[in-house]
Amino acid sequence: MTTSTPYISRRSRASEADLIAEDLAVEFDDNAGDATETRDDHPFTQQTPVIRTVKPENVCLVVDDASMTYRVRSSSDKHESSGRIARGIKRVTGAGWAEVHALSSLSFIVNRGESVGVIGTNGSGKSTLMKLLTGKVRPTSGEVYATSTPVMLGVNAALVKEISGRENIRLGCLAMGLSPEQTAAKYDQIVEISGLSDALEMPLKTYSSGMSSRLQFAIATSVDPDILLIDEALNTGDAQFRARTKERLDEVRSNAGCVFLVSHSLGTIKQMCTRVIWIEQGEMLADGDPQWVCDQYEEYTSHKANGRMRAAKVVYERTRLRLDRMQIDFTTGTRPKKAGTGRNR
Amino acid sequence: MAAPALERADETPEPGERGRVAQLDGTGLIRVGARPRLFGYIREIWSFRHFLYYDSHSRVASANSYDSLGRVWMILNPMFMGCAYFFIFGLLLQTGRGIDNFIGYLIIGVFTFRFFTTAVSGGSNAIAGNQKVVQAFNFPRACLVISTTVRELFSSLPMFFVMALLVLTIGDMKLDGAASIPTALSWHWLLFFPCIGLALMVMLGWSLALARAVNAHNDVKHVIGFGTRILFYTSAVFFSPERWSNIGADWLVTVMNLNPLFCVLDIIRHAWLYDGFADPARWIVLASWAVGSLLIGFLIFWQGEESYGKER
Repeated sequence: MTTSTPYISRRSRASEADLIAEDLAVEFDDNAGDATETRDDHPFTQQTPVIRTVKPENVCLVVDDASMTYRVRSSSDKHESSGRIARGIKRVTGAGWAEVHALSSLSFIVNRGESVGVIGTNGSGKSTLMKLLTGKVRPTSGEVYATSTPVMLGVNAALVKEISGRENIRLGCLAMGLSPEQTAAKYDQIVEISGLSDALEMPLKTYSSGMSSRLQFAIATSVDPDILLIDEALNTGDAQFRARTKERLDEVRSNAGCVFLVSHSLGTIKQMCTRVIWIEQGEMLADGDPQWVCDQYEEYTSHKANGRMRAAKVVYERTRLRLDRMQIDFTTGTRPKKAGTGRNR
Repeated sequence: MAAPALERADETPEPGERGRVAQLDGTGLIRVGARPRLFGYIREIWSFRHFLYYDSHSRVASANSYDSLGRVWMILNPMFMGCAYFFIFGLLLQTGRGIDNFIGYLIIGVFTFRFFTTAVSGGSNAIAGNQKVVQAFNFPRACLVISTTVRELFSSLPMFFVMALLVLTIGDMKLDGAASIPTALSWHWLLFFPCIGLALMVMLGWSLALARAVNAHNDVKHVIGFGTRILFYTSAVFFSPERWSNIGADWLVTVMNLNPLFCVLDIIRHAWLYDGFADPARWIVLASWAVGSLLIGFLIFWQGEESYGKER
């Protein structure tokens, strides 16, 4: 079953599409009215590119044909290297290199004022996309461009276990590029959001996991980035803390130029986002209206949860057909090369 | 705009693919994660100087927080090492024969060698061992390596103080087969500071280059351990370089004279134990190493700036 492999190559996808052509035909009869209604100016057979000029002042973030393949050390035999020499080396050293295709090439543009939700099942490539967006990892092919370096609000904000909470707050603020004066000014706000004023003098190793994630959240949200990435796992903790953080999160969101929200909660996505990107098996499946994309996703996951792999596949292919693929073309000589700074406001 | 159309046509047409092209002017955009130009990079590091200072400072304070004796180990460690080396090399193997003030000679050798190698091996692990910090923030990565070296300097200050005390009190103890020259404080002792300054530049340069290498290939760590041993035996930590010329290996003496760590030890020993100046050649060699390794190490590190976020 193809769904059990993490990545499907282009070729096998095409043959899969042929195989289930009949299923699709049935499916499309259902959607025929809908499809012609909204898309009758773009019949499926049309291949000529539609060139659209984008206003540069609206653009916040551009992902241009970015793909990601990880090379990792692996001792498993599943990813067997093809070359004889490579296999020989692997036998001697005990581990070879395995290639993991995390994300196949995708392109999109996000404009100022948009809130983009990112959904997908576990291991579909959401985190990889976030890493590419923040520039921690350079894509294998393609590039990511933005007006400023995007900032990720995640639970992985680094904290040093041996030093106290107070020192961690200072260290975190300085690491985000705040000046000592700005750090001092934000200090009270951070303490208030974390709600840990009693434990601040203790070293961090004495904190419970809930306490340290509260501190991480408070430090991470002390800046107002222009492009903001929010991790689903960020808003954890008890009810009292969640209520307090929601306020701050809304504030940061309203100050940001554009927001990405990675979440498994479709309710949150539909409520907060103006646009949703669905990534599945390392491929962008849909990019558009939250309601529609979430409906497709829900149908897909419920089929998968009940073991109806063929039906899930149909939803997968049907959604992919509707995807309006785009290609980025920079006006001659304006492809960005500049570097951003790590400093925050 | 014929080119994209042609490109599309060459590919197997996938169902539903309509080749929409968005054209835009990228003048106002940056490439996310791009490496700044050299001077921009230096300016970035400067703007993160507070982080750098605070990071090294806070980690010094917490360095030995898991030991019950805490910071005392920073002094106990080299002292025990000195005792062990004195027992083996001074008493059993008698490598100290013919060296005046051998106890002081050994103390300066062991303490300074330890300072040098812990800083370099710590610095070389600064990126690979701090992946969490690298993943979470966007500061220029060289800050981490610089902060490790600065931290090592901070944490070695009490150790250097103890070293000076020991040299003053027991450094001139009389041993068999060698003369004893009384040690006393003089302005020559101040030569220690420019000498350690140059040594720091060498250490930082090496750390920067090694940090990139270790992050790219973890295997380099094993080689560093090996290199440390080689450095130990070619820096005259517990014997005198004349030993080599006595057995006719003059080329080894040349190697030692070009070894920056040997230059550091020789300068400090002459200043502290024998109340005088070392050969000016030591200063020239050390200064060239300092400038050369800092420059080359920094360029090597900066060149790999985009590769440090990659997990291994």
